[in-house]
Amino acid sequence: MDVKALRVAMAGDRHIQPIAAPDAGAANIRLALRALRDSGLEAGARGASLEVQPQSDRPPRLERATPFEGSRIGVRAVPGAPVVGFRAFLDGIQRSQVIAYAGGIPLVHGAVAAAIRERTDRRLHTWGTPQIAQALFAPHALLDATLLASLGARLTVVDTLASTGASARDFDAPSAAAHHPQELVARALTAVQRARESAELALVAEWVARGEGPLLVDGGTSGSAGAATSAHIVGVIKSHRTLYADEAALPLVLGLREGERTTAMTVSSPRRHPVMSWYLRLREPSSRSPLFGLVRVETARADDVTERADLVSRWLLAERTPVALPDQRWDVMVYGIRECEQYLTAILR
Amino acid sequence: MNQVSTAIIGRVVATERRPNTPHQFHFWTALDAPVGIGTIVRVETTRPVSGVLPRIFGVVTEGFGYTDLQTPLHDVLGADGEPGASALAPTERTEIRLYTAAVLRQVPEEPLQPVPMGTVHLATEADVQVALRMDTYATGETHRGIPVGLYRAGGTEAAIHLDADFLLGPEAAHLSISGVSGLATKTSAVEWLLASIFAHLPASKGKVAAVCFNVKGPDLCFLDQPASALSDEDRAIYQRLGVPATPFANVRYFAPWSAKGGQLATLRSNDALQHNVQPLTWGLKETLQYAEVLLNRDDIDAKADALIDFIKERVVDQTFSDPMLERSHLVRSFSDLEQWFRELLRGLEGRNADVWRTHHVATIRKVRNRLSNISTRCKGLVTDDGSVSDLPFKQFEDRAVYVVDVANLEEDAQDLVFARVVSQLREHLEKRQLGVDQIVVFVDELNKYAPADGPDTYVRKMLLDIAERGRYLGLVLFGAQQFRSQVHRRVVGNSGTSLYGRMDPDELATAGYQTLAPATKARLATLEKGQLMVRHPHFGQPIFVRFPRPAVLSGREGVERFPQAEELTLEQSVAKALRRLDPAITVGWVQDQLALAGEDDDGVLRARNRTLQARPDDVKAFFKAQLKKRATPEVAARRGPAPLRVPPPDDVYG
Ligand SMILES: Nc1ncnc2c1ncn2[C@@H]1O[C@H](COP(=O)(O)OP(=O)(O)O)[C@@H](O)[C@H]1O
Ligand SMILES: [Mg+2]
Repeated sequence: MDVKALRVAMAGDRHIQPIAAPDAGAANIRLALRALRDSGLEAGARGASLEVQPQSDRPPRLERATPFEGSRIGVRAVPGAPVVGFRAFLDGIQRSQVIAYAGGIPLVHGAVAAAIRERTDRRLHTWGTPQIAQALFAPHALLDATLLASLGARLTVVDTLASTGASARDFDAPSAAAHHPQELVARALTAVQRARESAELALVAEWVARGEGPLLVDGGTSGSAGAATSAHIVGVIKSHRTLYADEAALPLVLGLREGERTTAMTVSSPRRHPVMSWYLRLREPSSRSPLFGLVRVETARADDVTERADLVSRWLLAERTPVALPDQRWDVMVYGIRECEQYLTAILR
Repeated sequence: MNQVSTAIIGRVVATERRPNTPHQFHFWTALDAPVGIGTIVRVETTRPVSGVLPRIFGVVTEGFGYTDLQTPLHDVLGADGEPGASALAPTERTEIRLYTAAVLRQVPEEPLQPVPMGTVHLATEADVQVALRMDTYATGETHRGIPVGLYRAGGTEAAIHLDADFLLGPEAAHLSISGVSGLATKTSAVEWLLASIFAHLPASKGKVAAVCFNVKGPDLCFLDQPASALSDEDRAIYQRLGVPATPFANVRYFAPWSAKGGQLATLRSNDALQHNVQPLTWGLKETLQYAEVLLNRDDIDAKADALIDFIKERVVDQTFSDPMLERSHLVRSFSDLEQWFRELLRGLEGRNADVWRTHHVATIRKVRNRLSNISTRCKGLVTDDGSVSDLPFKQFEDRAVYVVDVANLEEDAQDLVFARVVSQLREHLEKRQLGVDQIVVFVDELNKYAPADGPDTYVRKMLLDIAERGRYLGLVLFGAQQFRSQVHRRVVGNSGTSLYGRMDPDELATAGYQTLAPATKARLATLEKGQLMVRHPHFGQPIFVRFPRPAVLSGREGVERFPQAEELTLEQSVAKALRRLDPAITVGWVQDQLALAGEDDDGVLRARNRTLQARPDDVKAFFKAQLKKRATPEVAARRGPAPLRVPPPDDVYG
């Protein structure tokens, strides 16, 4: 079962209204634990959340980007006062946790949720239907067939090997590393992450189809063609393990002052759709890290690139209040996104 | 009970730090939910207990509002220290309205559990009935509900009834109403509630009347006159609660004479309103019974007491002869008693005796001074000549109001009136001879008569006694006071029902209000006129209600509409008084009689009083006879002894 299938399979399991009848079969962690115990496994929700465990991260790196506004990367003070432009905010959250081991194979419970909070009259309300999905994540091929059948009868079991692109059948010569429990956990985490992205993308697609006005998305927008080409979608990237700047451009990016942006560039990679992107300094770093207050903006490529990037930058500068404190990333997080995240935390029970 | 499911306005929430209990729960609402302090709500749950879906009713006692802001500093930072800048933020912070409600009732009542999670709804009128247990006494054939006001919140309007068994007895009784003067609408609320009692007390509870002491200005002087301006809203409440918006049909006024004696000491002196005004006067016998009220205990020792008892038992109202006296005496009035004392002391002096019938001459002097003092201090009330005009004990009428106007009396005399009237009511009720089965006694400024601290006076003891035992007798005390904390705690403590109008914040800070949530106190401190907080035994929690303006003319307007009668000449005032008995009497006729008789002022007033008391068929003849009677023998007697010396108040030993 791939991630899209997961979403469809679990559509009936959404419980989305904050005011709702008790869970009707959603694979929340309680039900998952019961299913595991019913299948003869010892299970418990005592593991730490996988999201907060140190990840086998790719190392920080620089990546070259092609200038899209002018012939080389430059710095530009955003002209004009900040102006309110965003109509809505989209964010997604995920939670995962190893809840059992079956013969050394970790079984991960994953839950994802995404929502759009629309702003009317300066207040935020949920737009459309939030996405919620919860499932067990495990490598089907490595599990005992009867156990898999028993679990599958009770809840959705997402195949963590399939989600990487390799099908279970192709997996005839698994490398030794792939059996390492940590590697399997990492794959499960990736699968949960995909599920979250997929939930987010589904909402973006819905907004593109029937939303009104600009939507601010937490994260990049190059994941789907619809998002990458819609003038209504603006992505904001808050972490910068990959900096899109060569050695010459890097000092310009790190040296941006509050209210300045770089000129736009094209960011693309084989698996992503091309979008235009620029760095914007939301708050003055003073003596802090050069990444303080720095965001990278992604949006559909436009002909009037300068005006467009200036306007979107002004929209973002307008979102600096209210501050998203006490969130640790308050320097780069807009309040609408934090609010959306809190909303999701509340509904993902 | 039909259970109309109204819209969900909130959800119950409980956390470890703020858990729900069997008597309290928390819920949140939308920002614009029509919920406030005092709103009654119903909780619905989906989880049955012992096969029954519990229903919980509560009243909102506290409210909280906050945002996701963790510290104010974050807002300051976000706005760069510019308050104006925050207002421009494109998004308003998420804001929550969290309310605390006190449980009014859980249905079923057993097992009593913490309030479960559920949805919160505005209470409907039927819900309010159940929540306040009014379903057990205010509905059906045998109902005994007395409307006290309307509960109104979020579109719900419900009649709030008190239980007659708990307001007038026998289960509980008495009412206490507190709040700041002029804003708490205390007097008005009592007037309204009396009207409501008269309209709703079921026939099975028998007859009821009220005795109201008018202690301040014209407050209760116009209870039989229609209100000048009832608003449509007021009328709607009367209609809704089934109380006629009309003044009291049967009111009688009692007032002592003014010090000068010509007129009654009341602001209800306008000629147009005299038909139901009567003098309130007592003679020696009536007064000596309550001499205790007026005699300062510290000052009266056992010896003096013994003499007073002797006088009460052996001298008053009987022919009394003694070797020490020149003649036999029939003492019926203070002036008779004064004669008796004078002669006795003269006799003792003449014989150089120090002791008479075991009483020392000093004690006799002292008692004489104290007693003569009473008739001075209570001038206008206690007559010198023994004439009595009293409340119609034994003939009290159903749904009648008897107003005793003591506003112009000195404190001592007020105490006397109060003690005697209430004691008489009590005695008559005990013998079931009052004429009604229940009597409501309304005392304004109760803190003056039953103070929390201060000497243990006769009046206070009497009030404590009523508070504790009155409910069995049908003697019901309605007390009003600015500060409940200043009234003796056994009096307020025995008050089954308590009403609160606008309260003084300092008063709310006293110990008696500790159980109220801060928000409830804040609401009490800002209550509008016409709103009351009600505590009643059936109500699990205090409830806020609205009541209409009284349907009677207010004292303030009354004195404008019915200006006081001019100061009258002696002839005019006598003519006015006698006209109550014989409308044909004119000032000219009285003038003629007085000229003929050549009587002095006191003699004329005495003749008037006797006539009023006797209510003779032939008023003119009787009055003339009184004048003549006084004119001959007693004028001579009067010329004898020196006038009575009145000791100054600080004279310890007269
Ligand atoms: N139900 C009511 N609604 C509005 N105003 C009222 C109501 N009842 C009384 N009032 C007004 O409140 C004022 C004070 O009333 P009163 O009963 O004399 O208060 P208190 O006895 O507490 O001094 C009066 O002017 C009266 O008209
Ligand atoms: Mg008053």
